[in-house]
Amino acid sequence: MADVAQSVNFFEQIRQVSALRWRILRNSMRKKNNRLDLIGMIVTGVFGGILVVGLSFAFYAGAYAFLSQGRLEWMALLFWGIFLFWQIFPVFVAGFGANFEFRALLRFPLSLRALYIIGLAYGFADFSAMASVCWLLAMTAGSTTAKPGLLPAMLLIVAAFMLLNATLERLIGSWLERLLSRRRTRELFLGLFILSMVSLNFVTPLVQRYSASARPAFLRLLPYFAWLPPSLAGRSLAAVTRLQPAGFLLNFAILLFYVVLFSALLWRRFAAQYRGEELSETAAPARPAVRPIAATDDGPDRLGLLSPQVAAIVRKEFRYLTRNGFAYITLLMPPLLILIFSMNFAGRHPNVGGGGVSTEMFFPGMMAYLILILMAPAYNCFAYEGRGIQAYFTAPLRFREVFLAKNLMLVAVLSVEIMLSLAMLAWRVGLPSAHMLVATCAAIIFTIIGQLTIANWSSLKFPRKMEFGQMRGQRQSGMAVLVAFGSQILMGGISAVILFTGIWTGNLWLPAEAFVFLAAAAVGGYFASLDALTRLAEEKKEVLIETLTR
Amino acid sequence: MSEVAIQTQKLTRKFGDLIAVDGIDLQVTAGQFFGFLGPNGAGKSTTIKILTGLLAPTSGSMQLLGVDFAAHPVEVKRQIGVVPEGMGLFERLTGSEYLKFVGRMYGLDRVTTQRRSEELLDFMQLADRPKTMIADYSHGMQKKLALAAAVIHGPRILFLDEPFEGVDALAAGALKALLARMTERGTTIFLTSHVLEIVERLCSHVAIIHKGRLVAQGSLEELRAGISVEAGDKTTLEQIFLSVVRQDGTERPQLEELSWLM
Repeated sequence: MADVAQSVNFFEQIRQVSALRWRILRNSMRKKNNRLDLIGMIVTGVFGGILVVGLSFAFYAGAYAFLSQGRLEWMALLFWGIFLFWQIFPVFVAGFGANFEFRALLRFPLSLRALYIIGLAYGFADFSAMASVCWLLAMTAGSTTAKPGLLPAMLLIVAAFMLLNATLERLIGSWLERLLSRRRTRELFLGLFILSMVSLNFVTPLVQRYSASARPAFLRLLPYFAWLPPSLAGRSLAAVTRLQPAGFLLNFAILLFYVVLFSALLWRRFAAQYRGEELSETAAPARPAVRPIAATDDGPDRLGLLSPQVAAIVRKEFRYLTRNGFAYITLLMPPLLILIFSMNFAGRHPNVGGGGVSTEMFFPGMMAYLILILMAPAYNCFAYEGRGIQAYFTAPLRFREVFLAKNLMLVAVLSVEIMLSLAMLAWRVGLPSAHMLVATCAAIIFTIIGQLTIANWSSLKFPRKMEFGQMRGQRQSGMAVLVAFGSQILMGGISAVILFTGIWTGNLWLPAEAFVFLAAAAVGGYFASLDALTRLAEEKKEVLIETLTR
Repeated sequence: MSEVAIQTQKLTRKFGDLIAVDGIDLQVTAGQFFGFLGPNGAGKSTTIKILTGLLAPTSGSMQLLGVDFAAHPVEVKRQIGVVPEGMGLFERLTGSEYLKFVGRMYGLDRVTTQRRSEELLDFMQLADRPKTMIADYSHGMQKKLALAAAVIHGPRILFLDEPFEGVDALAAGALKALLARMTERGTTIFLTSHVLEIVERLCSHVAIIHKGRLVAQGSLEELRAGISVEAGDKTTLEQIFLSVVRQDGTERPQLEELSWLM
């Protein structure tokens, strides 16, 4: 008879999981791509760090000023700022932080308590959580500098506030994970999410128009906010400052009630997962045949000018595009953005005064912005291939054909988007002068084709697998982000210098001529690069296949 | 003299200090049903990846159907079909779309691709789900589709890495019949599998790789002749396999070492 494992120490389990995460990170550093990725993340992290440190000074100064000037009610505003950032930022950017794979841990004799603590600890590892903790500590320092006697109370309030935020963030993440566990709901949610983000841009014009009439309604709602956690934290601190122990106890007790409530709800969610709740997608149930397969016919070949291989890949890319909810929504954005920006900045629109951006500059500016958005995925163009990447290496074709097909599809999509945007611009703002129109069109060709060459190289050098319509844990390689960022700055910089040189010298057709020349050079360079990229693909195929089939 | 379908000379692949494939000289005659065996980590999948162009060899050369792979990769790939490890499917296509994609990638015209796709989907019993994406297929269905894609262009050599893993008995029977028919018509099949009974039943020739080295190669009869068993007993492939693999001192793990489990 085999002996039964003895009961495992709770802290030992947590230590083991932490050690596991560390070991995984260390082992991943054995691969050059992962090391480069880490460098890219660190460089990106430096920018985030600057933001955090800068705002830490602001929170310090805010807390100091409010307390020393006796504006105690304003402290709640600082707590509100941190609360909103901690809860909303992960949904916006970080995709709820690092994946916490419950199911991977459940096969071990892990107690629910240990699972809960580990889950919560992951909540503190997010960028939003770390930044918020920094700001709360800065607030504590500011408050203590202003009134040293507040330190114990401030520490108590900040500790409860941190716990509440971490718990709530995990809770929201857990609910959303449940909601997003199926592809269809996930893509639907993502679509709604992006549309809601886009619609945020309408807030300014709406506020401008309706602010006067909406003000009384907002003021009526305001008292209800007083019973929410950030206001309670602010009021607790204000009560301590005013030496009102009853007020402090009441507000702090309600704050603790929220902590207990969110903890209980989170415990419930984790308990469901601990019992074996299955969220992942299963194979779709068998459906009766809608029509016999023999009846399917693609009709005449609309891509007859292309080689069969290139045409096959273009078709596949088109199908992938139409099945990716995220990509769909991204394509809706350019015309929408033109609508929004024309409401906010363009000179001719009635909402804007005489100081708006001129039509002459609005057109190239908008086109640059659209290219910035739409070119980003090209820097990791194999992201959605998954195991299919092997087909490109076993099929009888040269890799230049893969790039040609993928780039052709992207250029087709960009052309449609630019035409739509151009029509929208003509309607909303008006077209620029002929020389600016020609210069911008040539600049578009130069920046797109020029970037394609770099993007193809980046796709081979820094591949990263991504899942369709998923937010969680979806991240480009850090180096690919840096390359994209660098090349877009370079292309944008060159274009801006040329445009302004035309204006400064008074030679209005100079930019058009320069961009036509650069566009021709970019097209030539692009075709010249394809053979070199084919050789690079052969060299990098092992890394590419390993990364994408993982 | 029979045409040689696959020939390698000193084929070697290193991963850092590890030599996964160590100077393999392989020869497979056209029309053979060739089983490639080895214990876990012996170098089977690495070899098949090299032979299909998914992995570059560190040194050595190979010719498929007499054509040097390194010099003419596209020409060679036109002649071969592959079911790679992981199957290499585009999961956001339907089965029908995927087969049409593969057919066109191999240069088949649209009408032929369409007809063959339909026939293969019918044969693989996948035709009743025309709108289901591959991501929603079961593992066995994906395997059948990968096999259909590997044969759509009528390859002269077919490389199969664990083709029957996850496939139900009904489909496996049909697949075996299909593969047997293909070899009868001259197709060379190069197959790896851990299920020795399948290899024994299907393959006429076998090679065994162990720790990156080719330790045995020949027809089943030739390999049987090298193993002594009790009079009257027929040597099984498992006996051959174990005998060859243990020659370097590798032993079956001893249960006595796990006494605490019993």
